[in-house]
Amino acid sequence: MKKIILTALLLVTTYNWCQTQMPNISLKDLEGKNHTITTDYSEKDKIYIFSFWATWCTPCINELDEMNDVIEDWKKEINVEVVAVATDDTRTQKRIKPLVNGKAWGFNVLLDSNQDLKRSLGIVNIPHTIVVKNNKIVLVQSGYVPGSENELLAKLKAL
Amino acid sequence: MKKKIIFCSLLLSLGTVMAQEKKSNISGGFENNSQWYLNDKNLFDENLLPTQHPEQPFRSNSYLFVNYKIKNFTFGVQTEGYYDKALLNLNPKFEKANIATYFAQYKNEKIEATLGYFYEQFGSGLLLRSWEDRALGINNALRGARFVYKPTSYLTFKTLYGQQRTGFEVSEGKIYGFDTDFNVFEALKKENSELSVGFTFVGRNEKTTLVNPNFTNLTYGIGGRFNYSRNSFYASGEYNFKSKDAVVQVKNQIDNNLIKSGSALLFNMGYSKKGFGIDGTFRRLENMGFYSERLANKNAYNDMLMNYVPSLTKQHHYNLANIYVYQSQPGIILNDPSMVKAGEIGGQIDLYYNFKKGTHFGGKYGTKLAVNFSQYHGLSGDYFIYNPQDFQTKFIGFGQKYFSDINIEITKKWNSKWQSVFSYINQYYNKKFITEQYGVINTNILAAEAIYKFGTNKSIRAQGEHLWADADKKNWASLLTEFNLSSKYTVYVTDMYNYGNDEPELRQHYFTVGNAYRLGSTRVSLSYGRQRDGLVCVGGVCRYVPASSGFSFSINTSF
Repeated sequence: MKKIILTALLLVTTYNWCQTQMPNISLKDLEGKNHTITTDYSEKDKIYIFSFWATWCTPCINELDEMNDVIEDWKKEINVEVVAVATDDTRTQKRIKPLVNGKAWGFNVLLDSNQDLKRSLGIVNIPHTIVVKNNKIVLVQSGYVPGSENELLAKLKAL
Repeated sequence: MKKKIIFCSLLLSLGTVMAQEKKSNISGGFENNSQWYLNDKNLFDENLLPTQHPEQPFRSNSYLFVNYKIKNFTFGVQTEGYYDKALLNLNPKFEKANIATYFAQYKNEKIEATLGYFYEQFGSGLLLRSWEDRALGINNALRGARFVYKPTSYLTFKTLYGQQRTGFEVSEGKIYGFDTDFNVFEALKKENSELSVGFTFVGRNEKTTLVNPNFTNLTYGIGGRFNYSRNSFYASGEYNFKSKDAVVQVKNQIDNNLIKSGSALLFNMGYSKKGFGIDGTFRRLENMGFYSERLANKNAYNDMLMNYVPSLTKQHHYNLANIYVYQSQPGIILNDPSMVKAGEIGGQIDLYYNFKKGTHFGGKYGTKLAVNFSQYHGLSGDYFIYNPQDFQTKFIGFGQKYFSDINIEITKKWNSKWQSVFSYINQYYNKKFITEQYGVINTNILAAEAIYKFGTNKSIRAQGEHLWADADKKNWASLLTEFNLSSKYTVYVTDMYNYGNDEPELRQHYFTVGNAYRLGSTRVSLSYGRQRDGLVCVGGVCRYVPASSGFSFSINTSF
């Protein structure tokens, strides 16, 4: 029995342990167009910031407001794009479009309406940020506190 | 033994090959929420009895899921453990540790086939939605098979069969479903506008034990929907019909003499462009409680719930705005002439406006305005209490008022360090009809929030609220302060004080002190304090929690 456990452990260690890639899931944007997470965000050396949020999540909105204010400056330094993944279910989903436009955000917005993407990434709390470069998850950040965007920029520059 | 070793080394070498090719991958997540309940002789319930911890004062819920992906296949398993028992007022069927869900899935560009447990939603979920919400203790995944076929990018077919998870078992009732979604304009290669249509069928087959039932084992729902958008304008609508079935007015009682069908109508339209958005939703529900077993209707734990009929109101983040929360009213009650319900009718309007930077109201950083209004009524019609019980509703007719909420929120960034939010909320809450208790409450809430950033990644957030209420527990005040000492560490203290309660003994403080630490995808938090009795609501679905006092600990991580 011990040997089997040992072997199983060995076996496990030889696998790619950990989520290194985004799951192959496609989500609709606000115009109803499908986007596949793995293939539509795969430009070489470009940094994609997937920010998981919802219309009822105030820290998420603070984060995206802040991001909206700084992203143009960031783009002068790095090749970066923000993808705001709305985890709203159908209760609040209709609020996404007027909110995004009302706040004049310039992000791509994807609708994760039954939380397939959120679930497959094991995300429990939002805000939650996943940074992807060359199809690899390079950075994960749970939560947002005001001011942490400066730290994020420093990390992105180092990628 | 030899065989085993050979088998294992074969597997091992296979694993190594796979790992080298990087085609296989293991990922997952873990979450634990624990509570250590304490006796609190200064915290009283409505009967003026002090709060006592349950027999098992330490309780915890744990969830571990692991997914293994190899090429187009994914295999997953989730185990759950509840020790000594599940947190207070969660479904008692969540007991001990066990395998909760598992699945095997094959997926390529055109097809997806799943065996085992799966989550699904048709349209906006008014007929079928299975999902997981750990805070509410909901996991109504279906166990069976699902097949999704996408012949082109604009056409999707889904078909499924399964039994619904309840505790660590599955429901007696069997669920069949079919759904299709067709993006018309994409097929016609029309750009800059969208028109899609969808059709849903859901059947639930549950054998009844009644001797001469006036209803059939199979109850079905059919629904159609559309979604249209062009430039800044958009609209969507959905109509669902649920076939005749026995009504459950009182928990655990199938009414063989009241056999009714149900329906749900949802309509939404809006207009938005940069800096401005307006959105309106109308919904009418009649007899739309839909459970995988008839007797589960009206259970307190959202157990075996098949569809998703959330309250369509604004989900406030203020503490005091969550005391009188509306719950949608899809069910039937024909108790006495002053208490009849067959559904709800109402809607909400949202408005967002951004005062541009550099304008009078906008200032240097812009000012953001959000306004929301919602109102819900019972269905007007003729209700007969006895001989025989029955009702006929008007399709468009506003009956007894249940709830309204009008609120305005102004967010202003003063400079790169300071931001403030002001809110005003006015609510009407008909407690008699919403929670089947008594009373009507009118409230006014004022709230202000300020965020100050300093250093490279530090900030302070302070929030003050006051609630004026003309009945029930009367006035409340609340304060919250949060220190973010770095992007990883937060300390907070919060207090809600029911100083206006008519009963002096119940003028109580509900305080919490806590802290949270985040690193990568891991979050750990520990707090001590009191929980107000009332509803915990997530996404418009609520669970009742009793007053309690004690320590809370939680950890979650993904890998």
